[in-house]
Amino acid sequence: MASKVESILKKIDSRFDVEVKVKRDNEAWLSIDNENLIDICGSLKDKGFVHLSAISVVDWIKEGKYEVIYHLWSYKDKMLLNLKTRIDREKPAIDSVIPIWDSNAQIHEREMHELFGLKFRGNPDLAPLFLEDWNGPPTFRKDFDWRKYVRENYYDKNNEREAAYYD
Amino acid sequence: MIDQLSPSPDSKEYNFYFGPAHAGSGNFGVKLIIEGEKVVRARSDPGYLHRGFEKLMEYRMPLQNAVLSDRICILESLNWNLIHAEAVDELMNIEVPERARYIRVIMAELSRIQSHIIWFGVFSKATGFDTGFKVAFGYRDYILDLFEMITGGRVYPAGYICPGGVRRDLPENAPDRIRKVLNKMDEMIDLEQLENSTLHSRTKGIGVLKLEDAIRLGATGPVIRGSGMRTDVRKDDPYEVYDRFDFDVPVRKEGDAYARYQIGIEELRESVKIIKQALKDLPDGDAIAPEFKKPRLNAKIPEGEVYIRNEISRGEAGMYMVSDGGTNPYRVKIRGPSFLHMIPVLEYLFKGVQIADVPAIYWSLNICPADLDR
Repeated sequence: MASKVESILKKIDSRFDVEVKVKRDNEAWLSIDNENLIDICGSLKDKGFVHLSAISVVDWIKEGKYEVIYHLWSYKDKMLLNLKTRIDREKPAIDSVIPIWDSNAQIHEREMHELFGLKFRGNPDLAPLFLEDWNGPPTFRKDFDWRKYVRENYYDKNNEREAAYYD
Repeated sequence: MIDQLSPSPDSKEYNFYFGPAHAGSGNFGVKLIIEGEKVVRARSDPGYLHRGFEKLMEYRMPLQNAVLSDRICILESLNWNLIHAEAVDELMNIEVPERARYIRVIMAELSRIQSHIIWFGVFSKATGFDTGFKVAFGYRDYILDLFEMITGGRVYPAGYICPGGVRRDLPENAPDRIRKVLNKMDEMIDLEQLENSTLHSRTKGIGVLKLEDAIRLGATGPVIRGSGMRTDVRKDDPYEVYDRFDFDVPVRKEGDAYARYQIGIEELRESVKIIKQALKDLPDGDAIAPEFKKPRLNAKIPEGEVYIRNEISRGEAGMYMVSDGGTNPYRVKIRGPSFLHMIPVLEYLFKGVQIADVPAIYWSLNICPADLDR
């Protein structure tokens, strides 16, 4: 018998190339091409996934990719869907999902822009949230080492207490 | 967005700061643009408590992260412990013993009660009802005593709920003491429920959030339930052993500050109900999985990814954890409910209200700047 999540996924438009991994009866992970993002998100929202739980970004530095993950929840079917898409790490840009999830998406995108430097095309307000007067690289990128940055900018090798942080 | 941040020059608008270094806002700033007594628009200004947990966790092993996860939200550290432990359990494929699952539920619900008590405390204070504040913080101490007895820490349990189960079993006299404290809680709920005209006039019809707006702005937990949506992760997507307990999900239709406050009171009763059932059914056995009895510092986390959702007292909390097969998680993303409640919902609700209503609306959302800033 097909599980509940599979019967829902069948209804999603077959036009798109979607790789599906069903994890539990009510949880699935989808990998999609970022060009279809808006169309797929739109059709998912029509199917009842009205709650965007979070947007996460993973920095796969070795592969030169950012992975953007949209965690969706359907109040109607009580189902969790995780939508994954990969984009280029050098000039990271992706379409904004504000037309679909409105203010909820806006604030998540604003956070990810600050921490990873992603551009969200169509998001009007990407002002920093947490870091004031920060001019360095986006802090959550894998190639930004907090400890090294602090050693170089704030610590003193000759200070007895702080010398322990230098190898 | 300069036009949102500053008053327009040819008007009578002026800036008014609510926080961040303010006893009444809790380490969080909101910039209000005021005209006369009316808030024209508001702009949240987070960052005062940003500690970068998501990145800190990438440098540490799960055993260390369990302790770190206390600090995500000071007011309900055990719930965040639980979310972190569940994420690691699922990634490492650990069978958590039955007894540990029950203890986890008991601790999470006790933590929810004390967090809701703080909510009433600050909410009463914000609406000019100081007795409520003192009643709440007095009764909260009974639960902190329990935490001290069980976990060793009053506010921070130091990773009591850890991957594999709980760090140590309940002391022998714990069930009796918990039952005694629950009786005290019933007493407190009756006190907090004393209706008074100050509370009514300052909260009824104030800060109304319609259901469609609540969904659009990403509200969860008591906020969306106060607007009429019956949803609770414990019911909809049960974790641990919540599906074995009989409890209700309180819902109100009005969507105002008073409705949210009432939801909180009713949820206290439901939590008491859950703990009583869990204590009755508490099975014997180990409180931690055999592979975690001796802490293994260099245990590898198998490759994979997991998204955990829990219902904490403020709403839906999530943790996304990715592992590439090393000893530390490759990436951790924390979804705090206050992130949505304090930025989009707050900015929306503040539009067009009177300055005097600002604290009542602010605290009716049951917010915690710590899980927003992380």
